[in-house]
Parts: sequence; structure tokens; C-alpha cells
Amino acid sequence: MSFLGLRVLDVLWKPTVNIVRHRYHADKTRLVRRYGYKEQIWSGGLLPRALGKPLPIPEYRPSNAWTERRALFGQNDYIDILGPGDLHPVKTLYTVPSWIRGVSGSEYHILLRKKKMWSKTASPAIRPTKWKELQKRISFLYRKLNRKTKTGFSPD
Amino acid sequence: MTSVLISAIKRLHISITPPLRLYSSNVTVTPANTNLTITRKEWAFQPQYTKPREVWIENLDTVEEQKLGLFELHPSVYAASPRIDIMHQNVIWQRKVRWVSWAHTKTRAEVRGGGRKPWPQKGLGRARHGSIRSPLFRGGGVVHGPRSGKSHFFMLPFYTRILGLTTTISAKLAQDDLHVVKDLELPTDEPGYLEELIEKRNWGPSVLIVDDTDYAPRNITAALDNLPHVNIMPVYGLNVYSMLKHDTLVLTIAAAEKIEERILRLLHSDTRQQQRAFQLDQV
Repeated sequence: MSFLGLRVLDVLWKPTVNIVRHRYHADKTRLVRRYGYKEQIWSGGLLPRALGKPLPIPEYRPSNAWTERRALFGQNDYIDILGPGDLHPVKTLYTVPSWIRGVSGSEYHILLRKKKMWSKTASPAIRPTKWKELQKRISFLYRKLNRKTKTGFSPD
Repeated sequence: MTSVLISAIKRLHISITPPLRLYSSNVTVTPANTNLTITRKEWAFQPQYTKPREVWIENLDTVEEQKLGLFELHPSVYAASPRIDIMHQNVIWQRKVRWVSWAHTKTRAEVRGGGRKPWPQKGLGRARHGSIRSPLFRGGGVVHGPRSGKSHFFMLPFYTRILGLTTTISAKLAQDDLHVVKDLELPTDEPGYLEELIEKRNWGPSVLIVDDTDYAPRNITAALDNLPHVNIMPVYGLNVYSMLKHDTLVLTIAAAEKIEERILRLLHSDTRQQQRAFQLDQV
């Protein structure tokens, strides 16, 4: 019975059809998945760079903490206390060149001392360029410190 | 009248040091092991208000630890208060005293070339330049760069260094990381023996052995040649950095006494000479 009724409806009633000539892009509705949430984290497995050349990370080479130099670091630093008392620890700094051993001061002070001690050796004749640069630097620093540096009021 | 008398007595500055001798253990010990030697020490400078510290004398000729005797250590040297700040100052001093930075850059005057004006001052539409070694140029000189021979040297005050030694050695003793042995005679020159001994006695991975002579017995020097983390030093080489770098400090009896004697002598003598500010020409 209901089937017959449907057939009658098909014959008698025709729906109105509007012909749309243009379907504008702005009118198209896109399918929105996951309520518009976008996953920012890559979950597709390993990153593609695994296929190519690895990034240049330097190979980890830990230094040996027990080489002789490191194991005995600081030996004889208390020789004036624990030794017979006639030797100062500065005397035992064999790895430091003599012209800077136990010296503290600005670059100018150290260069003056270096010049004073080098002048007695053959260094000026053997390394004339180094010697010239040393003197040039000293005269530059002299002019800078004495003529171009403000020193403030005198304490008196 | 009485006040005059009191002030007169006060002016006399009479100080009475109590002839006090506190023993670390007041009980008279009757050891079951009759071989045990118990040493009561009479120092030139007796400890007045603190007790001497007692340590066992151990042996090195067997892997198992044997206690050969009891030994007293002076509290001024081996029971100083643990000052971590002083230790830190000492370690920093030890690192800086020999530190010279050799980093170097050349100024525009030292870089080769650059004497000629690269292009005329006017007429080319280019910026004016006087030298291709100017710091603006690639390959030019460096301004305010590091200059070679930068020294970080300074001297830590004399008593800070003495205190550094005593506080570190006391901390080692208090933490059971200081052991006194009779001598350094080993039965064999195999490094495996010493490794086994250190493992057995739980001395930790690294050990610093201190003797009072420059020449150690042959067996121990031969064994230590192949053990980089076990080191031997004479007394005068002992220092704060090495004591902290190594886990365990092993002293011979002679070394322990020598350290004690040297430091006690300095603590009780006129050290104005050593305390003066460091002069370059003094060494």
C-alpha cells in the first residue's frame, strides 16, 4: 500500500529545480576534520633526515682525566710550607716561560718586562719582525695610557 | 687602692697556659693483639683544648687490611674545621697561578700589507678607505682582541694556604678517606696486586700515596707505572688540588709526622717574612 502511494507521489509531484550556473569557490564548504584541530607534532615515525646524510655532530671524545699532567696537576704548589722552606712555589712553575713566571700586570707591564728580558738574548737578531712589533706595541700602549686615558683626580 | 692593684696586675699580662694534655682515649688499653703498637706522641707544641686524633696504622704487604697499631695526629693539623670556602680559594689559586692565556690576535699594524690606499678618496662613489687591513675589512686587524701573554697570577695569603692544607687534610680524615700505612713495601710489582688491595679496602677509584722521601721502593713505583689513577708524591708535593682530585689519601707514618711537624712549626713561629706581599724579585 505504501509502495503504491509513493509511486503516485512520484507521478503527481515534481520538485522545483533551480539551475545554478556558477558555483563560487567561496561558497564551497570544506570538510572540517577533527573540529579543526591541527596536530603540530610529527607522529609519522622517524624523521626523514634519517635517510640522508647525518647532521655533522662531532664525535664525543672525552678527555683522559688521568694523564700524567692532569693527575699531578698542582704538585709542589705548597713547597714553601711543606718543603724545607728555601724554595718558593713560583720557582717550580717550569711550564711557564721565565719572562711571565709570577708576573701579574697589564699588557703594558708584561710587554715592558718581556722587552727587558728579551733584549739580553739573541731574540732581537733572530726574530727582528717580532722584536719590531713588540716595540711598536709598547710605544702604542705608552701613548694610549699616558696621553689618551683619563686617570681621574689625584688622591692628594 | 684595690682598683690600682688590679690594673697593675692587668698590665703585667700574665698568661698562664694550662699544662693540659687531653688524651683521645683515657682508658688504658690492653689489646688482645699484643703486636699492636700504641703510640702516644709528645709534640713540641701540645694541643691545649682539643684531643689528638687517633688513626690506625695499616699495612700494604697483604691485600687484607691488618691493623698494626694506633697512632696520634695533632688536632691543629688533622682536625681543623672544614672550610669549603678556603678549599675553593686554594683550588682557584692553584689553577690561576700557572695560567697564562696565549690567545693572540693581530692588530691592523701587525697584519701583513695594507700600506697602500686601496682606491682614491673621491670620484669613485665608493666608501673612503685607507688600508685593506682596517678592522672593517675581511682579513683585517682585530680591535681589542686577546693579546698573547695574559697572566692570571696572584699569590694567595700564606695562612690561607696553610689553612687550605689543614682543612682539606682534616676533611679527608673526618670522612675516613685518609689512611696511614707503615711503609710502602709491596710483595710484588704487579699492578694487579695494588688494584686488588684498593678494591678490597674500598679506597675508591683513585688514590694518592704520599711518602716523605723522593725515592719510593721499587715495587710500588713499578706497579704505579701502569695505574694512572694511583699516584705517588713526596711530602713537599702535597697540595689541595691533588687531595681533592684523588678519592683517598694514603700517608706513610713518616709523611704524616713530617706534614704535622712542618705545619706546626709554621703555626708557632714568626712568619712575617712569608706573609709579606709577593715581590717578583724575591724568588
